[in-house]
Amino acid sequence: MDHNNNIDFKDLWKKQTVSQPNIEDLLTRLKQFKKAGLRSLWMTNILLFATCAFIIFIWYSYQPEFISTKIGIVLTILAMVVYLIFYNRLISIYKNIVTAQTNQEYLQKLILIKKKQQFMQSTMLSLYFVLLGVGIGLYMYEYAVRMTAFWASFTYGITLLWMGFNWFYIRPKQIKKQQSKLNDLIAKFEEVNNQLL
Amino acid sequence: MVFEEIYKTYWDRIFRLCMGFVNDYDIAQDLAQETFVIVWQKLDTFRNESSIGTWIFRIASNNCLRQIEKEKRFLKSDLPINLTEEKQQSIEPQIQFLYKCIAELPETERIVISLELEDIKQAEIAKIVGLSEANIRVKIHRIKEKLTQKFKENGPQ
Repeated sequence: MDHNNNIDFKDLWKKQTVSQPNIEDLLTRLKQFKKAGLRSLWMTNILLFATCAFIIFIWYSYQPEFISTKIGIVLTILAMVVYLIFYNRLISIYKNIVTAQTNQEYLQKLILIKKKQQFMQSTMLSLYFVLLGVGIGLYMYEYAVRMTAFWASFTYGITLLWMGFNWFYIRPKQIKKQQSKLNDLIAKFEEVNNQLL
Repeated sequence: MVFEEIYKTYWDRIFRLCMGFVNDYDIAQDLAQETFVIVWQKLDTFRNESSIGTWIFRIASNNCLRQIEKEKRFLKSDLPINLTEEKQQSIEPQIQFLYKCIAELPETERIVISLELEDIKQAEIAKIVGLSEANIRVKIHRIKEKLTQKFKENGPQ
């Protein structure tokens, strides 16, 4: 190039040592990749199946009489299932991102996904705690009714205390941790995207 | 085009693009491999709307941009930095310096200059990055000036 003052960048660039791995190695890696994908799919399904089996087990072996107990069980399990499904959805969003877009489109998509993730994570975590809390509260009712008033309120007191701790301490802490990580990332992606403006 | 053929034709070029982005031999090797994993997975979705080269370079450069996310995680582990430097000492210092300078540029400039040095037409670069051709031309000019400057100031002789 004329203004390079004799530095031939192209020549230097192409002199970089490159070692092309054997295509067999790559194909092995591809197979592993496929296997890992299948494994995670299996894990999710086994987990879902196990929780369903658990619900049925409790239902049949303890024969709860109150409807509140049944709703409680369902809500508790639902909380876990919803959380699980949500995380799998998030992973599939990543997988389906079109990788052959222009850099600019791709960056914008990444920012969008991260923002979506940010929203979903905080909302989902709150939903999880609400479902779990209400579920456990309802579930306990049938058993608390059979106790003396003192023990019933003691049991509920302890449970509420534990839930309060989760809601007011664990939950905000968890959300804050996730959000600050995502915020950093979004800021970085936006900065890169701005290089193209 | 068959995957094997693509692999043989594009490996070196993709590797250099990744190397320009991260200036770390092992990470570049990983990034290049990841690129070909994606190419392999998506090859049946490739419709001849663009040339296969444009398509592959888009995937590779986007994958490099995704690397930013991993970088954040990587930094926290505080690995000793001189680990990779030892390995590269056999390389001619001028080449090493060029790659170092490029990896220090803003992310998108790394991609633009790498593609230019790979002899890709500016119209194609525009299609890969998503900017106008005129814009790319200006960018390349500026980046080259920056590099020349750096070579003049502290480049190895």
